Amino acid sequence: MADLSAPALSVPAAPVLSPRRPAVSAIAWAVGPALLLFVVFFILPFGVMALLSVLTGNPAIQSGVTFTAQHYERFFEDSLYFEALVATLRIGAITTVASLVIGYPLAHLMARTHSRIGHALLLMAVIAPMLTGIVVRTFAWMTLLQDRGVINTTLLSWGLISSPLKLMYNEFGTIVALVHIYVPFMVLTLTGVIGRIDERLEQAARSLGANRTRTFLEVTLPLSLPGILAGSLLVFALSISAYVTPFLMGGTDVLTLPMLIYQQVGASFNLGFAGALGVVLLAVSLIVIIAYNNVLGRFAGGEKMA
Amino acid sequence: MDQSASSPASIGLDAVSKSYDGRVRAVDAVSLDVKPGEFFSLLGPSGCGKTTTLRMIAGFETVDTGRIRVGDRDVTDVPVHKRDMGMVFQSYALFPHRTVAENVAFGLRMRKVPKAEIEERVRAALALVALTGFEDRRPGQLSGGQQQRVALARAIVIRPPVLLCDEPLGALDRKLRQQMQFELKQLQKELGVTLVFVTHDQEEALAMSDRIAVMNAGRIEQIGTPTEIYDRPRTRFVADFIGEINLIERPGGKALAVRPEKIVLGAPGAVLDGTIDSASFLGGQTLYRVALSDGRQMLVKETNAGERPVRSVGDKVGLAWAAADGVELEA
Ligand SMILES: Nc1ncnc2c1ncn2[C@@H]1O[C@H](COP(=O)(O)OP(=O)(O)OP(=O)(O)O)[C@@H](O)[C@H]1O
Ligand SMILES: [Mg+2]
Repeated sequence: MADLSAPALSVPAAPVLSPRRPAVSAIAWAVGPALLLFVVFFILPFGVMALLSVLTGNPAIQSGVTFTAQHYERFFEDSLYFEALVATLRIGAITTVASLVIGYPLAHLMARTHSRIGHALLLMAVIAPMLTGIVVRTFAWMTLLQDRGVINTTLLSWGLISSPLKLMYNEFGTIVALVHIYVPFMVLTLTGVIGRIDERLEQAARSLGANRTRTFLEVTLPLSLPGILAGSLLVFALSISAYVTPFLMGGTDVLTLPMLIYQQVGASFNLGFAGALGVVLLAVSLIVIIAYNNVLGRFAGGEKMA
Repeated sequence: MDQSASSPASIGLDAVSKSYDGRVRAVDAVSLDVKPGEFFSLLGPSGCGKTTTLRMIAGFETVDTGRIRVGDRDVTDVPVHKRDMGMVFQSYALFPHRTVAENVAFGLRMRKVPKAEIEERVRAALALVALTGFEDRRPGQLSGGQQQRVALARAIVIRPPVLLCDEPLGALDRKLRQQMQFELKQLQKELGVTLVFVTHDQEEALAMSDRIAVMNAGRIEQIGTPTEIYDRPRTRFVADFIGEINLIERPGGKALAVRPEKIVLGAPGAVLDGTIDSASFLGGQTLYRVALSDGRQMLVKETNAGERPVRSVGDKVGLAWAAADGVELEA
């Protein structure tokens, strides 16, 4: 860099406190829990999976097993698999963004509700759905979104539509159910971070002439980026690995990698190919996550002084 | 001086009251008039309503009743961001995700000041608080005193007609605090800005203010210059809260107040007679505790200068003071 000579020149009279880059380190800290989750639940199974994906068979029960690239070749030869990967990432991304859009205002409200009762009620409202289990919640959505579900029958009886809307057995239904399931994760992660933002910072911005929108954009939002990042990673990771919900809500329209993997393991007993699919999913989602992290990190740095 | 305020404004509070969720009044019918360019302090014990009063002036709290005026503009219903006041928070409230320069520039950016002018004014404001060269640091990389000065620069760079400070020196150690008291007072004079200063430290208020409002339990007990407040307290509360005082009860709930240093010790046979109970050497002065014949105690401060008799515990002494130094307190 240009100022390599600076340390030698400026023997400072004022104490130089340890230099740090708050935006990046704060984000790193907030990502910690999600990262831990990743390590415990992904690294170990991943080791086995990655190994199997480059072998011709399972060395534990077979002999004469050798290294091979056949599973990866198969993935790239058939566009079906690539489309499933794209669908998985698309569902994950849309679910994440929708959870963020729905979850942020809720988290903000929760973090800024100071009355104990109000806070407890909101927390209950957020957590209660988590207690019912994924399958139950998915079935609840099915009764709502089916061709002869609550929504379609109501609209039909009011004469607003002449034939049922296709609300499920497609990506739309899958995403609706996934958002419902994963929004609490987003809210809880965000609430913690937003709650730690000193309200006096917002007041300071207001007293300096910023209206509510400006205050939100200049102060609250940048300071909640660590939470946005952590919450997004959590929801993204959970929704690209979801199996039950896409299976029940997606019908024959939706094919995601976890469903393919399940088929390979459960029906075709092809652990090697299942492993290859898993490795590809993980590699691609890591790339997505790193890119997302970089974009947010740049945003957190803020524009340079006007 | 190009940082000077647009022009200092007067502030008027007219019977302003505020209670939080219907409970006791945090601020109870407070009326006061701050003159343009005045250094005005709100002084009182913890919980007496100083911060609430300041926050109502700034617009962070709504008033229940009463009006607030700045210059000849009624700002009671004006939202915070349109009140055009500088505010320094006790905790500084610097934006942690922005550099020192960006913090100071914030108010100017909100006012859509041209870029070149922002740069120039930020530079000048940082120079004024002796922080040139710190532009690119983050608040987390500054000491408490430096952060305090950034907060000050951020508030004054917008050239507000009114500057509000809530215990801005509270978090500093004693030495830095005294230095900053001096610098803040100096700066206020240079800028000619009207400053409302909240503190619970009576020495700080006496040293810095043009006038002081002493508050107690949401009400104003007395408004006056530091000398008036110290020498002529109106109520028991003010007499007791500021410095040390002897109260001599009078019939009808009234009392006479005499400062310890106004009492002259002499031979027995004066206004009051007593025996020295204890003596504490304070450096420049000695503080005596004198027990009167009727059991009451009086504090007497004697300056350690010139010829004076050596006094020791058990000595009989007489206490006297000039009639003008005894203050009749309201009940
Ligand atoms: N947000 C609030 N909600 C409820 N009560 C409050 C709130 N803020 C202040 N109070 C109450 O109002 C009264 C006055 O508070 P205020 O903060 O104005 O006191 P203060 O004079 O600034 O005290 P300190 O010197 O401790 O800062 C106190 O009794 C306090 O408990
Ligand atoms: Mg206070």
